[in-house]
Parts: sequence; structure tokens; C-alpha cells
Amino acid sequence: MGLKTLDKITAALESRPAELEQLRKQGKKIVGWLAYNIPEEIIYALGLIPIRIGQGGDGRLVEVGARHISTKNCVFVRQALGQFAEKTDPYIKQLDLVAIDATCIQLYRLEELINFYFDYKTIVLGVPRNFATTEGHEYFRKEVEFFTKKLELFAGTALEQSRLEEAISIYDNIREAIKTLYRYQSLDNAPLSWRQVSSVINAGYNLDRLTYLELLQELIKEIEKNLSAGTGSREIEARIFLSGSLIPPGDTKLIDIIEQLGGRIVGDDLWSGLNFFLNLNIQEPTPYSVADAYLDRVPHGSLPYLDLESDGRLANLKHQIKEFNADGVVYHTLRYCDAFTFKAGETKDVLGNVPFLEIHTEYSGSDFEAIRTRVEAFIEMIKSKKEIAELV
Amino acid sequence: MAITAPFSYPESIKEKFTATQGLKFKDGSTVSSAEIWEFMTKEAPTRFPYAFDAGANNMGRFSDDVNFLSGIKRGYLTLTLKDRVMKEHAAGTPTVLVQGGQAMDAYYAAGGLPVRPGLVMQWARNMHEGLSLRQSETLGLNILESGRRKISIDACNQIAAHAAIDNKVVPIDLIAPFLCLRCSDMSFLVETHRNREHDIPRYLVDYPVDHENKPWAAEYIATELRELIAKIAALSGRTVTDEVIFDEIRLENRGRRIATEIADLWWGAENPPTNSTDFFGIAFLANDFLGDPVASVDLLEQSKIEIEERIRNNVRGFGVPDHAKRLYICGSCVGPNAHHAQTAGAIFVGRDDSWSCISVPVEEEGDPYLNIARSMLAYPYEQRTEKRAEWTAEQVRRSRADGVIFMYQWGCNYQSGVARMISDIVKEKAGVVTTFVEVGELGRSEATEQSTNRVEAFIEMV
Repeated sequence: MGLKTLDKITAALESRPAELEQLRKQGKKIVGWLAYNIPEEIIYALGLIPIRIGQGGDGRLVEVGARHISTKNCVFVRQALGQFAEKTDPYIKQLDLVAIDATCIQLYRLEELINFYFDYKTIVLGVPRNFATTEGHEYFRKEVEFFTKKLELFAGTALEQSRLEEAISIYDNIREAIKTLYRYQSLDNAPLSWRQVSSVINAGYNLDRLTYLELLQELIKEIEKNLSAGTGSREIEARIFLSGSLIPPGDTKLIDIIEQLGGRIVGDDLWSGLNFFLNLNIQEPTPYSVADAYLDRVPHGSLPYLDLESDGRLANLKHQIKEFNADGVVYHTLRYCDAFTFKAGETKDVLGNVPFLEIHTEYSGSDFEAIRTRVEAFIEMIKSKKEIAELV
Repeated sequence: MAITAPFSYPESIKEKFTATQGLKFKDGSTVSSAEIWEFMTKEAPTRFPYAFDAGANNMGRFSDDVNFLSGIKRGYLTLTLKDRVMKEHAAGTPTVLVQGGQAMDAYYAAGGLPVRPGLVMQWARNMHEGLSLRQSETLGLNILESGRRKISIDACNQIAAHAAIDNKVVPIDLIAPFLCLRCSDMSFLVETHRNREHDIPRYLVDYPVDHENKPWAAEYIATELRELIAKIAALSGRTVTDEVIFDEIRLENRGRRIATEIADLWWGAENPPTNSTDFFGIAFLANDFLGDPVASVDLLEQSKIEIEERIRNNVRGFGVPDHAKRLYICGSCVGPNAHHAQTAGAIFVGRDDSWSCISVPVEEEGDPYLNIARSMLAYPYEQRTEKRAEWTAEQVRRSRADGVIFMYQWGCNYQSGVARMISDIVKEKAGVVTTFVEVGELGRSEATEQSTNRVEAFIEMV
């Protein structure tokens, strides 16, 4: 699907590292951040340049990282550590500060390691496990306030309410745009694929946020223009929903397999995907309000929740499966990503009759064929079921 | 497995042993030394033969130092845990699953009986009596694997305790551990209980990481402690005033202080006055209390008197090798086999995990909830890794250790993540050799050759 704006996004990404070099020469500071609950609005409002970090799919970098951490840590963490060890990534090597939130406490360990072994300045944002309680909110408010003060010192400027308000507006619009793209990619005659939306999200890790927003809005306009053309055909397809551990930029193994076998990914509830952009409503331009909004959105799987019936993450999963009219769920878990791995059986139970396939994997290619066989059978099963349903 | 004769206490020490004082318990009851002797020489070998397996691979093997009489009483507390817990539970005391390596003051003060995952498994295995070591371990491994089948093969061995609860092997009334305190698996495992047939109430006590200079972290824990105590008290029926909590704090502080004093005495002695098993067992009593803080503190006091006497007489603990290499042990839940290490010429002189918890007493005036919270947040083991490693290096210096082994269990994401970093820092700060070893033998004594070889090779190198 030849959407010109996607080419513009690619071009913007290509020139971004050099652009950042120039900005640094002009005295701008780059803050790399990782995890789920870092309030990027605050980084942006302080005039710092936020870069979302964390990539996957590179077994060599995983091995580099594993020299400093254990193989009992997930591959995402090991690869991130490998990137910091090598400092060849055009973004990683330009970071002036790394901010990590403790939603996943393996990432908290990562922060300690990159600070100790590779001399990166780091800052940690504590995240309460009891995120749904009053005391959890109170704790997180204080954490965000403390985080803001540290960033103010680093930036050499105080957080201005008007700047925060402006940042909130930009980020709100980015989130809305991503949600719109998800809606369009799931249509029967979609003018772009889930994979392309995923690439657009990944581009947002690095691009200037205002530029990114403008490109997103341009892309939506172009898509809407294409929508009116109404091209495409309707055939029996296996509409796959992705859930489970994150699938960061670079990790295309499972996506490749699903698409090569004729499956069509139509949605996800990944923290590297759509969930990150959902239900984040900041009421006022204050750190406290930002804190509340982050805790109140779709919770991350690393934060335990003890009541199955009222679990917001599972409610969102069920809602999204329905919303995207998915036929089955591929539940992707990274080895030693306990947060999502331990929930696999439960998620299957909760989804009841929704076809469900768990894929437990790493970034190495050694299990490619094993995964391929399982996904192939899953897609065949879904398609056969739909064919039979159409005949009946 | 065990081809050697079972371990037994020789009749020659009976008279000396029965002349010592017995043990006092929290319900006001007492047990005489004669009764303990009877239990440890007649009843226990029949009911729990696995515990008397004299094979060197038996990680839970009793100390060979039969003249260290407190050690026999420690064995008694260990092997009577099941009876005591079942009796209390039947009388209405709520049993609570907790995390290891944390303060137990709040749980006991509220009238609960806290059991960490390791003790749950010991309790579960002891529900079947008359088992050999192999039979007992097979039983434990069956429970473990049933948990892994339900949840994940990636889970650390702690999953066995949760499976024992799920499978109703042991009656637990409340699941309420601290999270993120030394372990990352606990939170996800607690969460799995929401999708089980049982309806055991659950509560999470969050332990914020990166808490230095953040007073709101203590306030957060204190609020949770109020909730925790209220939940336990609702089950136990106890009225929990601040004074009740302070009474418990004072008792447990006494245990912590005695254990710390024992460590100082032990470290300062020309000859190690006990072997590794007895030394670690003493410190453990001040952290875990084996279901009865009164009895544990009583035993700690008796242990201290014995150690003082041994040091006065320059007695070396039985089994301590000549010119023993002194090893400091790091990491949670699992450690090297003391018997193998002694055979290879080493003795263990300290442990960062359970010793961290006993090194910080709780303030005895003010707000008891806040005091417990502040104490827990001050645990050296739970500081940022650099700070934790600096404390460890200081411990290494004080204990005059020649080397450090950081050991972690397969499946542990949290301690394994910093094993190398701590080893590197301690090596630099304390100037001793260090190594880190991943093992898979928690809960079993077979197929342990690889880790034994690595530990022995390290000892040879030291």
C-alpha cells in the first residue's frame, strides 16, 4: 500500500540522528526513557528531547548484554544492556540521561547496570504494585513530583504550567492519532497494515514529537482519502490479535511468521503497541494529575492485580479483541518475562472460546520452524472454522 | 542416595543434653530437654527419616557437631514446625504466606503465623511421614512440577509453595507477602491465586524499590502495614494496639540483637566456634523464628551462651577444617552445601540475605507501623545494588572472609540480574576473589555434582 506519508516518516527517521547531533551541539539534552509509566510530557515540557529506547530481535546484542546480566533475565533486557555496552546505536550513544520506571523490576536492574558499568546518568521512577489503591496513588504522586524535580535540575529550568499544558495537548493528539490508525488498519479494506502502524509507532520513539504529530495527522488525511476510494477485496482471513510480552522495534520474528502464513494481524494489547496509547486522560497540567492519569490507564502486566473480575488489563483485552473483530489470539511470551508468561493460562481461561495460541520464545532463530508449524496450524484452524461457518 | 547409616545423636551426650534448660513457647508452654531428646532420638527418626539421612548431599542435614547442644534444639524446632502450625491453625490462628527475608513483627503481632515459601514446602513434605530423603524430595518435586504445569516452566522453585496451597496440601488462611523485596516472582505468583478454585484472601504489601531519601516510601509501607494487620487481626480475632505491636517488636529485636552479637563473637574468635550449618542456623532463627519467636529467642540466648563458652575455651566447631578458607555467601533462597564445602577445606562465615534483615532493629518508640516500614527500607540487601555491595564488602572484611560466592537459583530474575555486579564490586572493595554460580538444586539433593564441582574448584583456587 503506497502511502506517501509513510515514506516521509522513513525519511524523517533517517535524518533524525544527525539532527539530534546538531541539537546537542546547540546545548539541547537528550533523555532516553524506557518502560511504561515515564510521563514523557514532563520531559518534553522541560525542553528536553525525549527518545523512547528499547529494541529487540538481535541475538548478538543479547549475548553482549548477557556478559553483565544473567540468562535468567529476559532477552529484551539483555539486548538493551548489549546496546548500552556497545554504544553504536545512533540514539543510545547520544543520550545525556536515561530514565527508567520500575513497572518491570527487571528494567530497574537494567538501570542499575547501565549506570554502573557504562557510566550513563540515570534516574528511576518508582511505580507502586498496589496501583489501584489510594496509598498507591499517593506514593506515585510523590514519585512523579520527585522525578520532575530531578529533571528540572538536569534541565536547568523549572517546569512551567503552560509548557506542560502544551505538551499534554501534543501527546493527547498523538495518542488519538495512533488510535485512529489502529481503527483504519483493522478495516476489511484497510489502506495500511498493522505492521505499518507498528512501524509508525516505532518511528515515534525517536522523532521530534511535534513533527511526529504533524506526520501522523498527514498520514490520517491520506488514509481517509484512500478510504473513500474503497478498493480491496474481501476474502476469508485469519484475523489475529497479539497479546502478551512486548514486541519492540526490531523483533519481527513472530510477525513475519504470522504474515508469511497468511494470517492478518488486526490488533494488539501490547505495552509496546496500542495499550501505551489508551485511556490516558490528564485532567490538569500538574505533576500530580499526570501521575494519576498514568496509574489509571490500562495497567501493565507487570503490576499485579488480585481480582480477576475487575482487572482493567483483561477487560481491555476482551474489549479490543471484540473491537478489532479478531478471530484468535496469539499470546506472545518472552522467556523469563514472568509478568506475561505466568498469565498465559489464566488469559486463555478468561477468553473462553476465543482461539488462543501461546508462543514462548526468545530472539534467537532456533525455534523459528517450531513456531512456524504451530502458527500455521492455528491459522489453518481459524480459516477452516470460518469457511465452515460461511458454508453453514 | 543414602547408603550410609542414618544420622543419630549418641547416647553419650544424653546426660549433658538433658541437664540443659528446655524451651519456652509463645503460648506459655515449655518443653524440657529430656522431652526434646526423646523426640530427636526416637519419635523424629521414625516420623521424618529423611531428616536423618547422613548423605553429604542432604542440604537439610543436621550438624555433625553433636556437642553443640543448641543445634539439637534447633533441629527440634524445625521438625516440630508442622505439629505446631497445625495445632495453632486448628485453634484459630491464621496461617499467612509471606516472603522470606522480611520482618515478621507485624504478622505475629496481629496474631498470625507467617510462613515463607521454604517453610511451606517443608511443612507440605512433612504432611506425609515416614519418608526417606528420596521419597520426601520426590513428593516435593511433584508439588513443584504441578505448579509449573499450571503456571510456567520459567518460575523459580517458589512456585512449589503456591502449588502446595493450591493443591490444599497445607492450610493457608491468607496470602499476604511483601513484593519486590529480594524477589520478582512473588508478585506474579500471588496474582495467579485469583484464578484458582480456592478463595483464600490475598493482600499485597508493596515494597518500593529505589527508596533512598524518599520518606513517602515508608509512609506507603506503613499504610499497607495497617491494612495488613487489620486483615490478619480480623482472622485471628486479636485486638492489635500499638503496645501489642511494640511488645512483638521488642521480642524480635532481642532476637536480632543476640544474633548480631553472636556474629561479632564468632567473627572475632581465633577458631570458628561452630561449623557452617550451626552458624547459619543461628542467624536464620533471628529472621524466620520458625513459627515461634519466643522459642526462637530463647534458643538464640542459649546458643550465645554456648558459643561464648566455646570461644573462652578456644573450641573449634566439629567439622571445621584445619586452616579453613573463609567464604562469605551472597544471594537469596539457595546456598552452597556446607558439608561439601567443609570437606573441600572451607567454612561459611556470613550470608548477606537473612543477615541483612537482622542487622536493622525496629525503633521501639513512636509509630510502630512507620518504624517497621523504616526498618525494612533500611535493609542493606534491599538498597541500590552499589550500596548493597558496599555493605557486603564491609561484612566480608569484618568476617575476615577469603572469598565470596554469589549463588542464585534457576528461574530467579531479580538476584541473578545483579550477581555479577555485586561480585565485581565486592572484589574491588574487599580485595577478595568472588564468583557467581547458578544452580538448580533447591529442594533436591540429587544431580548436584556440577555446582558442587564449581564450588569446590573455587575453594581450591582460594
